[in-house]
Amino acid sequence: MNKLITILVVIAVVGVVFVMLGPLYILDEGEQAVVVRFGEIVDSQREAGLKLKTPVIDNVVRYPKRIQSWDGDPRRIPTEENQFIWVDVTARWQVTDPELFYASLTTMEAGYSRLDDVIESSLRRVITNNRLHEAVRDSNLINEIDRTDPVEADVEELDEEGVEQIEELITVTSQQREVRRGRQELSAEMLSSAAEVTPDFGVELHDTVIRQIRYSDDLTESVYDRMVSERNRIAQAYRSYGEGRKEEILGELENERQQIISSAEREAQEIRGGADAEAAQIYSDAYQQDPEFFEFWRAISSYEDTLPRFRKTLTTDMDYFDFLYSEDGQ
Amino acid sequence: MSEKDVTPRLPFKLNPRMIIIIVIVALIIGVVMSSFFIVDQTEEGVVLRFGEYHRTVPPGLNFKLPFTIEQNRNVPTQVIQNMAFGFRVEEAGVNTRQSDVDYPEESIMLTGDLNIVDVEWIIQYRITEPVNWLFNVENQEKTIRDISQSVINRLVGDRAIIDVIGAERATIEADGREEMNETLDSYGLGINITQVRLQNIVPPAGRVQDAFEDVNKAVQDLNRLINEGREQYNQEIPRADGRGERIVQEARGYAAERVNRAEGDASRFDQVLTEYQADPGTTRTRLYYEMVESAFGEEEGSELVDRNLDNFLPLLNMRRDGATEATGQNQGGGSQ
Repeated sequence: MNKLITILVVIAVVGVVFVMLGPLYILDEGEQAVVVRFGEIVDSQREAGLKLKTPVIDNVVRYPKRIQSWDGDPRRIPTEENQFIWVDVTARWQVTDPELFYASLTTMEAGYSRLDDVIESSLRRVITNNRLHEAVRDSNLINEIDRTDPVEADVEELDEEGVEQIEELITVTSQQREVRRGRQELSAEMLSSAAEVTPDFGVELHDTVIRQIRYSDDLTESVYDRMVSERNRIAQAYRSYGEGRKEEILGELENERQQIISSAEREAQEIRGGADAEAAQIYSDAYQQDPEFFEFWRAISSYEDTLPRFRKTLTTDMDYFDFLYSEDGQ
Repeated sequence: MSEKDVTPRLPFKLNPRMIIIIVIVALIIGVVMSSFFIVDQTEEGVVLRFGEYHRTVPPGLNFKLPFTIEQNRNVPTQVIQNMAFGFRVEEAGVNTRQSDVDYPEESIMLTGDLNIVDVEWIIQYRITEPVNWLFNVENQEKTIRDISQSVINRLVGDRAIIDVIGAERATIEADGREEMNETLDSYGLGINITQVRLQNIVPPAGRVQDAFEDVNKAVQDLNRLINEGREQYNQEIPRADGRGERIVQEARGYAAERVNRAEGDASRFDQVLTEYQADPGTTRTRLYYEMVESAFGEEEGSELVDRNLDNFLPLLNMRRDGATEATGQNQGGGSQ
């Protein structure tokens, strides 16, 4: 019994010592390692699994095999036309040759700071050698977009002519400067000039992308000014157009009203004239039958109408009073 | 009481056999405990043997070799994950709350016509290949953020501000999704971006935004002005129509009256004429006297002057109401 215990203890102690000496190490997926013996690289492993090394004297240095992100601070860089912009670049990189990497840089921190230098210098060179719009834009798409007119959607009441007219007023200088290279090409240029250097220290650069471009603060203010004045101009165009249309409608109104009234008046006069003519016809048809009696009749009926309104002082001279002085009417 | 009794007595006798049993039991428990693992329904399990990828296992209770010979990593492959840019969701729920903090370093962008715009967006993605997700790229989420930002920035930078705010939105979303997927696939990240949604696209806050809003107001003003014109038109023209109609109708009334009067007069004349022709002498005289009667007969106050009163001076006051005064003057004139 005691023998068994002794054997077990011995096995356990030997096992522990063996493991502590570390002839084995596990390399995880996504890792790679170089094995260093007295400062000299004796082995490198790129595949995951259980690996062997010489106990005690071998030292395992692990590096990630995964793609790494590099993220620099935004840099304030002048473009070719000397406008200062903030450019923020990120990159993807990978340790592809762990032995070379260990030999030239050793630590990941050193790797990052080396990339800082490499990428920043190529970033500066590319931005300073190109104009602003080349970095901002990627293609000439902006000049090709067929803009569905924003007015049409807003103002339903406008006819086609109105839409055209207002479009002319609000159109912002839509033709932008031609892009010859574009952002992606600049990024590619940045990448190719940086990637030329990185294999020297066992690193492969996968891409460098411009994450963000911003104006510098003083430039931002003047851009705001421009944007505001542009909007004001458009707003003014809409308002003035509205006022113009209103005036036009009021003019139309006046025109139409006068047409209506005057044509009504014309018709009224025609009707009156026709009636007058007809009345004259009727009168003359009747009166022509006996003009002499007409004169008498017209006279007495007119007297009948008008005389009561006069103040009257009569003399007995009238025929009426013929019988006033003598019975036979003198 | 003897001193022996102070140490607690084990319930069984501690002998070598017992120790071995205990060790074996402990080993068995250890083996069992480290041999099973649970993979949730939303996940897939990736099993590594000595650090090397060995297999992928489905949800449920799974077996692995004990004592870290095999290790498992669970990856949520069924869950759609969200990522917000330019804002953060503070608390999702019935009332989703967004953090008040802005992230201008994410959302402020230059447009192709060199204007500035503030774009907020979200992406949704799902891990499709758990092994790639785990082992190909470090800082997976930061990588997704970086690429998403750079793609949206570039797409916005390629368009005019008015298009970004308006019509090109959907294109940016679709192209953005495609290009993000393309780039991330090139790293072998093992995800699929299912959706890119632009949330809030506005000009920079403050006076620029006010100016943009003023344009909308101006469009409203335009509509209002036109409507005002139309309103006045609608107010006046029907009225003018009515007035025209009235003028015509009045003329018709006049015409009817004129013709009717003429016909009446003519008819009366005809009839009188017939009578007159039958007996011209007396009819004429009768008509004359009837006229005088009707003209003078009704009113008082007419004055009658003899035809032989040659030196009658008609001094009459032309004003009716000054009759007394006129008499006075008359008298004064007489006394002289």
